[in-house]
Amino acid sequence: MTLLDVKNLSISYQTRGGPLQAVEDISFALDKGKTLGFVGESGCGKSTIGLALMGLLPPNTTVTSGSVRFNGSDLLSLSEEKLRQVRWQKIAMIFQAAMNALNPVHRVSDQVAEAILAHTPGISKTDALAQVRELFDLVEIPIKRMNDYPHQYSGGMKQRAVIAMALACRPDLIIADEPTTALDVIVQAQILDEIKSIQKELNLGILFISHDISVVADVCDHIGVMYAGQLVEYGHRREVFESPGHPYTQELVGSHQALLGAQCQPQSAPSAAPNLLSPPPGCRYCDRCKEGGDTCRTEAPQWIELSDNHRIFCCHRDPEE
Amino acid sequence: METDPQPILKLTGITKHYRSKASLFGRAGKPIVALQDLSLEVGAGEILGLVGESGSGKSTTGRLIVKLEVPDAGHIHLNGADTPKLKGKTLADFRRNVQMIFQDPYQSLNPHLSIYDTVAEPLIIHGAGDEAGRRQTVCETLGFAGLTPPEEYLNRYPHQLSGGQRQRVAIARAMVLQPAFVVADEPTSMLDASISFQIFNLLLEVRREMGVAILFITHSISAARYLCDRIAVIYRGSLMETGPADQVINNPLHPYTKALIDAQPGFDCVEADRYDTLLAAERDPVGGEHCPFYSRCSQAVKETCATSAPLLEHGESDHLAACYYI
Amino acid sequence: MSLPDHPKTAARPAGLSVRFHWIRRFREGWAIFRENLIGRIGLMLLGLFGLMALCSFIPPLIDPMYHPMTGVDPAISHSTGPSLKHWLGTDFIGRDIFSQLLAGARIAFMVGLSSALISILLGTTIGMIAGYAGRIADTLLMRLADMIMVMPTLLVVLILASLFGQLSIWTIVLLIALFRWPGVSRVIRAQTLTLKQRPFIEAARVAGASHTRIIFRHIMPNVLPLSLLYMTFRVTSAIIIEAALAFLGFGDPGTVSWGMMLQWVWKTGHMFQAPYWLLPPGICISLLTLSFFMLGRSMDEVLDPRLRKEDTNR
Repeated sequence: MTLLDVKNLSISYQTRGGPLQAVEDISFALDKGKTLGFVGESGCGKSTIGLALMGLLPPNTTVTSGSVRFNGSDLLSLSEEKLRQVRWQKIAMIFQAAMNALNPVHRVSDQVAEAILAHTPGISKTDALAQVRELFDLVEIPIKRMNDYPHQYSGGMKQRAVIAMALACRPDLIIADEPTTALDVIVQAQILDEIKSIQKELNLGILFISHDISVVADVCDHIGVMYAGQLVEYGHRREVFESPGHPYTQELVGSHQALLGAQCQPQSAPSAAPNLLSPPPGCRYCDRCKEGGDTCRTEAPQWIELSDNHRIFCCHRDPEE
Repeated sequence: METDPQPILKLTGITKHYRSKASLFGRAGKPIVALQDLSLEVGAGEILGLVGESGSGKSTTGRLIVKLEVPDAGHIHLNGADTPKLKGKTLADFRRNVQMIFQDPYQSLNPHLSIYDTVAEPLIIHGAGDEAGRRQTVCETLGFAGLTPPEEYLNRYPHQLSGGQRQRVAIARAMVLQPAFVVADEPTSMLDASISFQIFNLLLEVRREMGVAILFITHSISAARYLCDRIAVIYRGSLMETGPADQVINNPLHPYTKALIDAQPGFDCVEADRYDTLLAAERDPVGGEHCPFYSRCSQAVKETCATSAPLLEHGESDHLAACYYI
Repeated sequence: MSLPDHPKTAARPAGLSVRFHWIRRFREGWAIFRENLIGRIGLMLLGLFGLMALCSFIPPLIDPMYHPMTGVDPAISHSTGPSLKHWLGTDFIGRDIFSQLLAGARIAFMVGLSSALISILLGTTIGMIAGYAGRIADTLLMRLADMIMVMPTLLVVLILASLFGQLSIWTIVLLIALFRWPGVSRVIRAQTLTLKQRPFIEAARVAGASHTRIIFRHIMPNVLPLSLLYMTFRVTSAIIIEAALAFLGFGDPGTVSWGMMLQWVWKTGHMFQAPYWLLPPGICISLLTLSFFMLGRSMDEVLDPRLRKEDTNR
């Protein structure tokens, strides 16, 4: 069953230099119990998508086109009041700087209980705390540490507490924006395992945003690769990871595999992503692409179906190739 | 790579504590041990990877080597000279020979200096060449660091460059004096994957062309494997394992190294290949002398591991681990 | 080191690029500043007073009787109201109030800017040294700053004036400057302390840069905008202190400042008889200090890092 259906979403920021197309014409769908991962470098627009789904876009931002259907209702046309109800109750978010999401002067358990009390009308504090206990059990925080203050927690435990907070209202969809970026590898592995097992238990849909393709490959069923505000490749993780179609994905996967000891040596020109205030007419990756020709600079790329579940946004590649 | 008989850098018995300042009402806090009796060698032209989690003391090691901090005990020898004692002319020589590449390229470049001024600064400080000569050296170094054509970058400012380009400038600044030793403190942790890969390749090229020895500080064991000849794994201020990179990765000895390898995210992680050396729930810490990894180790034996700290002496000649049970 | 040939470039000297950098920074700042209404009003007022100061040289050239200090209208021997000949009237011995007002603007600028400049130079240098050196130097300099900061400037200058007799206008400028640096140095010290931790300072240390080089090449450009901001506030306070001193009778009797004019009004008993004489210098003092203050407030906004381009890039 489709939980989230996004069609042709475009978002632009108003800046001093004019409108900046942060997200351009992005479509994807997410089923219940599945994980979709967006991967791309910083500034490619992946976090903006997450904020748009939460209705938390900054005021200088406008959704210029597209539709977002969540459980059948159009999120973009909801009133501020309706949106507030959906937010946290149906869609929750785990932020990038999770450590700072906890208020240092309140007990962790109280903060999670607060989230439950705020969104469940008529619940008593005792019931809320009982739910908190269940949640902490779920994210594997020792119950005896429940009433500690945030500074007594390690980084990994804070992240678990933040996940507990996101789960407080039993949402259907969780948006996880770089949930493990600030953590050490071992803790990161534990948190990723945690997220996977919670998802299985609660049948959650997860939108996972990360700059690290290995993390995305670790947890996600489908992967969307973003570059300069556009989706350039979308598909099942096995296909994207084992036979990447777009040169940018090849670069990402190749650099990851080279680090794991493979012999391939991906190389691309050290050029920055294009300025999104005045994007070039053709493919945005062409400055770095080693395969691109002159047509890539002038002609807009097209979606090419590599298989039922795998498509790339590129100009020079034939599907038969 | 065979180890040089005469290491360029030698750390012996380095200990460093940090003490929290005494407050108005309390005594000074318990000293925090950043490094405990750490000994390390880097051969000429070698890349040594120092791998560890945050707070393990790996950055402190780098800062001690470049003399941004002084050790509480122990000796640091660079080319035979005891660096904490250097003064005057010999200190200037030391500064010329040892450089550092910092973690965050957004922070390590002065926003008010142009790229030319940034890269030329070490030359000016050490009085190398005249204006025209400096200009040429800067251009060459920038070109070498992959910023081509260099002339286009000279008059730009850090905020006009991307993160990867800034880190290239930082590398050019470190290399412009052709030092013998460079400390690279997590140079890519702020960069995107494909960009950091380019930076790794640049560091490899720097070593190949200039023969510089590099201490590469990282939290990523896969980055260390790609870049380094040897790897040293550090945990809570003590070395856990040292050895040739391939051996440490393919045949890890210490449970902590195994845990680090387990934790690498990736697609083809087969469950059967896991070492599973990490305890699901940490043990309560024990007092007195004990193995630093005792509270998290699933292989630990209470009688030995909780009573004395193993020394870095178990294993074969060049692949050693600080663990009784390997 | 042997270097292969390198294509000669249309080389711009490095010094020029530094200047370009400051021009660019100024342009960016100006773009933000222009959108600020308060700043625009402040700047307009300031321009008006600047024009007055510039024009203060003109009246004595037209007729010696318009000289603010020595020029006396031979036909008038008492204070008269505005007329065609004397736009704002004359004072008790027939000197032209309008030309006095113009001269006062010049003096106000002179006193305000020069004492602010000296106190900023002192405060910035001391603040940078204290913050960078730390330890004993920091403690000593900051205790000194505390001591000076708690002294009531006006009172101390008054005592000094009564001890040493009449102070010249430059002595007053210097005294104000000497008493007004501690606030600046506190702010600059705090800024230096955070800068000192920044990796680019450490990078300079690793490269072998000397302390003076680090302070003047790496720290100073980063604190200079803040110093300039504080300068606008220091100008305000210097002008007010000078006016107060003059009004109380401890000013330099050889200069025509607005405070001096107020003192003459008061001493000759024209306080409630000659509003044409009392009001112009009073209003000018308020407006000039206000305009510097408005300028400072809006500069504060310009310097707000959140509005700067370099940081929104991240």
